[in-house]
Amino acid sequence: MSKLIVVACGAGINTSTIAEDSIKERVAKEGFADVEVKRILMADIEGYLARTDLIMIVSMMKIFRTYDVPVFQGMPFLIGSQAEKDVLLDKIVEAIKKV
Amino acid sequence: MGFLSTSVGWFLSLGSSVIVMIVLIILGLIFRVGWQKAVRGGITTGVGLAGLFLVVNVIVGALQPAVAEMATRFGMTKTLVDVNWADAGIAWGWPGVAGLIVSLLVVNILMVALKLTKTLWTDVWSYWHGSALAGFVWALTGGNVFLGILAGVLYLVAGSLMSDMTAKKYQEFNDMPGIGVPCGTTVQASLFAMPVVWLLDRIPGLKDWDASPEGIKKRYGLVGEPGVLGFLLGVIIGIFAYGVGTGDLGIAKILGLGMNVAVMMMILPRMVSIIAEGIVPITMSIVQYMRERFKDREIYVAVDCAVLLGHPAVMASTIILFPLLVLLAAILPGVQMLPIASLAVVPFWAGAVVPYTKGNVVKTVIVLLLYAIPFMYLSTLTAESHTEAFKMMGQYGEQIGQGLKLASWDMGGDILGFFIQKIFGLFG
Repeated sequence: MSKLIVVACGAGINTSTIAEDSIKERVAKEGFADVEVKRILMADIEGYLARTDLIMIVSMMKIFRTYDVPVFQGMPFLIGSQAEKDVLLDKIVEAIKKV
Repeated sequence: MGFLSTSVGWFLSLGSSVIVMIVLIILGLIFRVGWQKAVRGGITTGVGLAGLFLVVNVIVGALQPAVAEMATRFGMTKTLVDVNWADAGIAWGWPGVAGLIVSLLVVNILMVALKLTKTLWTDVWSYWHGSALAGFVWALTGGNVFLGILAGVLYLVAGSLMSDMTAKKYQEFNDMPGIGVPCGTTVQASLFAMPVVWLLDRIPGLKDWDASPEGIKKRYGLVGEPGVLGFLLGVIIGIFAYGVGTGDLGIAKILGLGMNVAVMMMILPRMVSIIAEGIVPITMSIVQYMRERFKDREIYVAVDCAVLLGHPAVMASTIILFPLLVLLAAILPGVQMLPIASLAVVPFWAGAVVPYTKGNVVKTVIVLLLYAIPFMYLSTLTAESHTEAFKMMGQYGEQIGQGLKLASWDMGGDILGFFIQKIFGLFG
């Protein structure tokens, strides 16, 4: 079964594009063939929670509640250095492998 | 000179989708992202721009007859068609966009180096606010690219200074150290909120009045979803325009309008998102360069206003505001645009206000009801230059000839942008 990562931001336009770009690049490099990275709107998160293939939420905003799947805060993609980005990407890869 | 003006004329006649593709490929090569990324980015953005204009075509075709019908039936002069983020089409498609991006990068780096601002404008996507305004001024001055660029740079410089004033508050409330948000009408909402919240806190009874964000979201959340909201608004406008007693054809028209407005609400942002998909990777290398250049200074790294939307009070306030704002625009005399697509900007405003109301839903709603009023009037006042900008880019010429006028809150209603337009209008 495929694994779905959603990247959520306010309008699905700018910040999520930046994060999606970095995550997709890394996912391809790791050779995960069954991982799908999808940009969504913040308002759509609720709808995606019902999907059984959802394995992770990457949020470009601060999250004020908890979810059943791991949630990562994507701010390093926007303002972090390459090293900080890599730390976050390592965590994401680790979480993918655990599923 | 003759040769130059002929080739410029030829270049402009290519149409904005092709122009933006060429411009981005060149920018990509200058920023050294490599051929592949540059070509992919250029074409993607061109596609997004063309798609954006297609969607606006659909909505203009559906809405224009409806608002005209309302005008004849009730004498309601709400005849401007709301295109909101279609202004991104002006921003990335007007002929001076490359000049503006490069000028702004230079001006911003200089300002940070001279310590005039702490905000390092790495979020190239957000230049679009300034670039759309630049497009309006370009249209207003009869096609003066230089004045357009100057206006855009001025607007974005003002944005940096406003970001300096609000950054600390955003950082604390959203727990995001080091960021700043210089986006157009969002950061202006924060400045507006400061005195209003101070005042509200001094009114007895209002001080502690609040509503539960989770409760509101649970009960009315559906209305906050763009498609549902669009369908509802379309149906309401349809009922006013075509009446309920006109038989099957009337009902069909009403439902059809609802669907078309829903199409716009869901697809317009997706098209803008395709434009961003092309631009963002091309500009990432410049972002990296700017960050490293000022590594050892306290700077606020500019990020998109979307990062402010996390607090639950944001969506809750937005849901309450939607019907109130439509109603207010409908009854205020002299306001000629019923907000539909422009409602999409409201959550961003709310995101900028909740740090100041400490997440209080009631106060956020009051602040934004007041904040929206100037937008309602200014979007009406700027409809002329707004429409002209689309026309000069070769869009909707036929419909504009038949009296179509386009407007929006986010750029058309922008308070700072309005004054800049007024000043540059003197040179037109």
